[in-house]
Amino acid sequence: MLKSKTFVKKTRAGGVLKIVREHYLRDDIWCGSEVCKECKDEAPVLQEDACIESNLCSYPHYLIPDTNVLLHQIDILEHTLIRNVIILQTVLQEVRHRSAPVYKRIKDAIHEKEKHFYTFTNEHHRETFIEREPGESANDRNDRAIRVAAKWYADHLTKNTNGGSLKVVLLTDDRANKEKAEQYGLTVYRCEEYIKSLIGNPELVDRLALKPDDQNEIIGSKLLFPEHLPLSRIQSGIKNGGLLQGTFHANRDNYLEGTVFINREGEDINEVLLQGLQNLNRAVHQDVVAVELFPKERWVAPSSVVLQDDSPNDEDAEEDETENKLKGVPPDSSVLKPTGRVVGVIKRNWRPYCGMLSQSMIKEATRHLFTPADRRIPRIRIETRQAANLAGQRIMVAIDGWPKNSRYPNGHFVKNLGTAGDKETETEVLLLEHDVPHLPFSPAVLSFLPKMPWSITEEDMKVRADLRHLCVCSVDPPGCTDIDDALHCRELENGNLEVGVHIADVSHFIRPGNALDQEAASRGTTVYLCGKRIDMVPELLSSNLCSLRSNVERLAFSCIWEMNHNAEIIKTRFTKSVINSKASLTYAEAQMKIDDTTMNDDITKSLRGLNRLAKILKGRRTEKGALTLSSPEVRFHIDSETHDPIDLQTKELKETNSMVEEFMLLANISVAQKIYDEFSECALLRKHPSPPPSNYDILIKAAKSKDLDIHTDSAKALADSLNNATVRNFPYFNTLLRILATRCMMQAVYFCSGMDSDFHHYGLASPIYTHFTSPIRRYADIIVHRLLAVAINADSTYPELMDKHKQSSLCNNLNYRHKMAQYAQRASVAFHTQLFFKNKGIINEEGFILFVRKNAIIILIPKFGMEGTVFFENKDKPSPRLKFDSEGPTLEVEEHTFHMFDKVKVTISVDASNIQHQRIRMALIEPVIPGVSVPVPESEPVAKKAKLDC
Amino acid sequence: MAAVQVSEAEKVYIMHGVRDDLRLDGRGCEDYRHMEIETDVVSNTDGSAKISLGHTDVLVGVKAEIGKPRAMVPDEGYLEFFVDCSANATPEFEGRGGEELGVELSNTLYKVFNNRHSVDLRSLCICPGENCWVLYVDVLLLQCDGNLFDAISIAIKAALFNTRIPKVHISEDEEGVKEIELSDDPYDCMRLNVENVPCIVTLCKVGHRHVVDATLQEKACSVASLLISVTHRGTVTCVRKMGGGSLDPESIFEMTEAGKRVGKALHAPLMELLQKEESLGKKRQKVGFLG
Amino acid sequence: MAGLELLSDQGYRLDGRKATELRKVQARTSVFAQADGSAYLEQGNTKALAVVYGPHETRGSRSKSLHDRAVINCQFSMATFSTAERKRRPHGDRKSSEMSLHLKQTFEAAVLTELYPRSQIDIYVKILQADGGNYSACVNAATLALVDAGIPMRDYVCACTAGFVEDTPLADLCHAEESGGGTSLALALLPRSGNIALLQMDARLHQDHLDALIEAAMTACKGLSKVLDDVVRQHLEEVSVLTRD
Repeated sequence: MLKSKTFVKKTRAGGVLKIVREHYLRDDIWCGSEVCKECKDEAPVLQEDACIESNLCSYPHYLIPDTNVLLHQIDILEHTLIRNVIILQTVLQEVRHRSAPVYKRIKDAIHEKEKHFYTFTNEHHRETFIEREPGESANDRNDRAIRVAAKWYADHLTKNTNGGSLKVVLLTDDRANKEKAEQYGLTVYRCEEYIKSLIGNPELVDRLALKPDDQNEIIGSKLLFPEHLPLSRIQSGIKNGGLLQGTFHANRDNYLEGTVFINREGEDINEVLLQGLQNLNRAVHQDVVAVELFPKERWVAPSSVVLQDDSPNDEDAEEDETENKLKGVPPDSSVLKPTGRVVGVIKRNWRPYCGMLSQSMIKEATRHLFTPADRRIPRIRIETRQAANLAGQRIMVAIDGWPKNSRYPNGHFVKNLGTAGDKETETEVLLLEHDVPHLPFSPAVLSFLPKMPWSITEEDMKVRADLRHLCVCSVDPPGCTDIDDALHCRELENGNLEVGVHIADVSHFIRPGNALDQEAASRGTTVYLCGKRIDMVPELLSSNLCSLRSNVERLAFSCIWEMNHNAEIIKTRFTKSVINSKASLTYAEAQMKIDDTTMNDDITKSLRGLNRLAKILKGRRTEKGALTLSSPEVRFHIDSETHDPIDLQTKELKETNSMVEEFMLLANISVAQKIYDEFSECALLRKHPSPPPSNYDILIKAAKSKDLDIHTDSAKALADSLNNATVRNFPYFNTLLRILATRCMMQAVYFCSGMDSDFHHYGLASPIYTHFTSPIRRYADIIVHRLLAVAINADSTYPELMDKHKQSSLCNNLNYRHKMAQYAQRASVAFHTQLFFKNKGIINEEGFILFVRKNAIIILIPKFGMEGTVFFENKDKPSPRLKFDSEGPTLEVEEHTFHMFDKVKVTISVDASNIQHQRIRMALIEPVIPGVSVPVPESEPVAKKAKLDC
Repeated sequence: MAAVQVSEAEKVYIMHGVRDDLRLDGRGCEDYRHMEIETDVVSNTDGSAKISLGHTDVLVGVKAEIGKPRAMVPDEGYLEFFVDCSANATPEFEGRGGEELGVELSNTLYKVFNNRHSVDLRSLCICPGENCWVLYVDVLLLQCDGNLFDAISIAIKAALFNTRIPKVHISEDEEGVKEIELSDDPYDCMRLNVENVPCIVTLCKVGHRHVVDATLQEKACSVASLLISVTHRGTVTCVRKMGGGSLDPESIFEMTEAGKRVGKALHAPLMELLQKEESLGKKRQKVGFLG
Repeated sequence: MAGLELLSDQGYRLDGRKATELRKVQARTSVFAQADGSAYLEQGNTKALAVVYGPHETRGSRSKSLHDRAVINCQFSMATFSTAERKRRPHGDRKSSEMSLHLKQTFEAAVLTELYPRSQIDIYVKILQADGGNYSACVNAATLALVDAGIPMRDYVCACTAGFVEDTPLADLCHAEESGGGTSLALALLPRSGNIALLQMDARLHQDHLDALIEAAMTACKGLSKVLDDVVRQHLEEVSVLTRD
């Protein structure tokens, strides 16, 4: 009962407000140990047998880290070896205020059962709560609270184990705290001391974060960077407009340059350019920084040179030379940008980075530079004793800090991902770098899967339409195991046609709010890499229960239209259903059935009906101005044993592809309208904003070069002019033009209808659109399913579904995941392309010029659907005479002028000189330009670096 | 003001009593009723005090806020007074009924307390001309049984004694922009010197004599009263004649003398009580309204 | 900086209470001699003073009086120093007028007004210190004051707030919890009959949660009614000891 609790008032003065809060102390907070008989804890977390091989503590013990240990050594604590740790509430609260990412990580660790991490609510425990004393700083008070709690544990455990051997060990790196704790009779070690004592596991030592003391040894005393301003000054500076706050984006190609995007509304300046190490002032990509704007006369233009920080030494020498490299670029006065310098960092957004070790020249050295795979991240200095083992390995490193007298940030080793260039390792790297959650599903998530064997129950049948008799079939790419859509078409007695789109009823299996749902929501989408699929939902669902395979009964969500023969919709019906697909076809098989006039079975008839309607629908859609855009898609033939790509070709589109697509679009539009009518505030929709006119410049210019006009005032005009844009004897021209048009487009995004007013989908020329048809691999579709289910009274609603703010933040995550998935996919294709060409050796191929740049041309190889760059400037060689005309755009190299769409011949090979950034190299063979092009034979081409654009 | 009606016979009885220095409740003419004072009763104020004098109950809360000094005296802070005659005290005060009395009371309080002789207003200055502390002294009448002025003034003195103003220091950056920073330590605070804070003694002329701490009945027999604010040294800082009747100069002189005497005697036990309460610190069992 | 964590993973709230636990409630009746009934109540750091005058003749115009029952007249006010940021006026603003009206409605439901035709009962409540749940503290204090005044009622009126954080209903919110976002529901209950005298919720809440929230608030009210009953009985005991001697 409450009354038994003494209560103490805590006064906090914030501003001049005196805020008084109650603080109740309790006597029912347990210690959480299995051993303890006194505490009535039902499920103690801490084990009795808490042993780890250590030459400092030979007895079983629990660890109590203090705040700084937790903040800085989270990588150690996360290691599976470290178990039985008591996290004090005092520590947890401090961490929460100081670092959100670490807080999230420690919470994850606490939730993991195997870790045996226990949170002790010491601030509310009657015997461990302490009040701040006069003259004591908040930090000192917290340190004391930690000591008092540790002492309580020590006494409590001694008492309740009858003098047993179980002890607590306090970890702190604070000297004063350690001394006081020792006087207080506690077992206390420095974190480093303790970790080094774990003789059985020396690998843990490398994970230690560097501490300020150590940093002093490493670095020279010379100040390399201006001091950062204190936070209070930054805040007042931002308030009075002297400083601007924004997110720092490092330039991928030039390590001395970056841009800060000012994310405040009403600022007339939304981008600030930063140049030079001094002005970047230790900002790392994605950090939130405060910048000071230079006066107009010091504004500069962004340089277009490529500069990489590849000096081999890790001296903290000043980089006058490289700074000069920048200044050498003559400023183009017309493009001067607001320029400034970083004066302070508001929030670091560091994450662990993948990359490789550049070994120190000195063999015995323990300090090495680490080069991240992401070129926007600076190199990081780490300390490791296993450098020899890490050579050629992909590793993960976290940044600990960046002192003002160090050229590079300091960090520590986190984990080894495997040998560089290895398929598994590289896949892991690209998943990590693109923030794709790819760990196996946790037991908690799996626990929400239906129990096998699973079958459709009586209850299911009662509330669902029985459509098993219908001749439903699915059409998918070959090898597809997650079939989420199936179709049927039949003639009704009244002469009309009934068309059904049946979508896997994933929302039947994934109930709102449980671990499975949360995991799916966080993953957002299934990620398809070459030869690998990262599922959004566990395989049992994706490839079995939700997959609409042939000849099994499956739950579906059906959208059924009654149409006349002109494909005009007479009636739309949505229902949960049970179907039994009669066939799972590939696009090719379906095409064959349609084309083969001898076949006349139900499936074929159904397919023909669908195909006919699809053509009408497509015609009508095109009429309205829907765009048919093109991007070359690549498909690998993968060797079934080595899993190496053995052939590479662009995907071929058949009529049936577009048939399925047409009905999916129709279903999506119908559903979008329905859920929007029902839930105008919280419908999850997808929009595709029309691009700003300037985006089309390059397209219009390109067409001009072939004397064609492209009209971009409306989607319809664009579609028409694209259709008419053909050049005789150049069949591929239209495709090239469409590829260009695709590049002009905006990104389509999910949004919540209550938070936005523009719903238009530009590419599909539809006033409203959503995603309904792929719930197995997109989370947005699951939400749409739920909304639709509520709309037709097939399911009940739940609070989050109706909350537009929660919906909106969900949309942000989904958009982010989709973007990242796309990048990961491209990176995977790029990697496999490299593998392919590595095995092939050097190839000669024909291609077209897609873009003309100042010092390079970008070439598309239609056969492989891939792009590469041919550079005309080279470090080791005098550059040829170049003349760029931005009007054309054309590039004159010596005597030859390159136009867009020119046909060229190039050699393709893999440049493996930098193992971390292997690239596809392209070199010009035709047209022959003396000193620039290379001879046709398979000799090593002149080093012309090229890369896949991703 | 809350008043009672007294019959002619009662009046005579009271007046005769006063003449013989024996009042209805057995007090002499210069005696106060039983008084109880407790400080620090409202934890979210910077200083507070509750007083009960007979059946008169007053609660005072002091809140310190940062404001701008008055242009005439840029190096001083100031006090603001508000008297809330709540309907709790009497139904007559419901709605706007208590407003008139409230304004009268607060105007008097301004005159008595808001000057540099009573309170060290200089110590309230943070940054001359820019920032100073403004002490909002809010008086809440909970029950009225006569002699409001005296009770309020004693409660205010106690509350000011109890007031703790957080320490601030001013930091200045290169551009000269001043920033007020509050001390992070809750124990780091400033106290007011209340030594010179006066107390009000109200003397009621009843018949030919005068009484201190008049009850409502005595008040009803009185034609006029004299309000005197007296410091601990016996210095008179303010004199006001209140009420509808008139007083002859002679009795004003007499009443002033009596007021000085009574007022001087009032301060010493009050301060002693406050110091004693203070010395108990956190161990003190707070009673508040629960006692 | 991160906002407040209203409910920790261990199930503790900001002040160390569990989700269903009330704050410490202390109360006393007959705090003032002049009024017909009075009570002082602390619900954690929320402190309320209630005073009852009456039943008496209707004041002011006769037209206000009702021929078949008593008029309940309420005034809610807050001491200017009661909130963290000083208030300019103790009463008369929209919020306190609304609060006065709510109190009136609540007690019209509870007091046996038909026993006193053509008369008036005044209930004045004052918040001395505000820390969330002002309305409920006022109702609870006023109930005690009415009991103290000896005015017959159907039952105690007990009020409590409940809020909703991360799918868990929290009973008896403190100010930090009320202002920390999320829903807050105020409920006044006649515990014996289980009837609800007042129900108010301003924020948006999904219907599925409403039952759970009301349930939590009702449980809290029942807990409170026990405390109030103890206060009344204890006071009675004290008084009867005094009068016996």
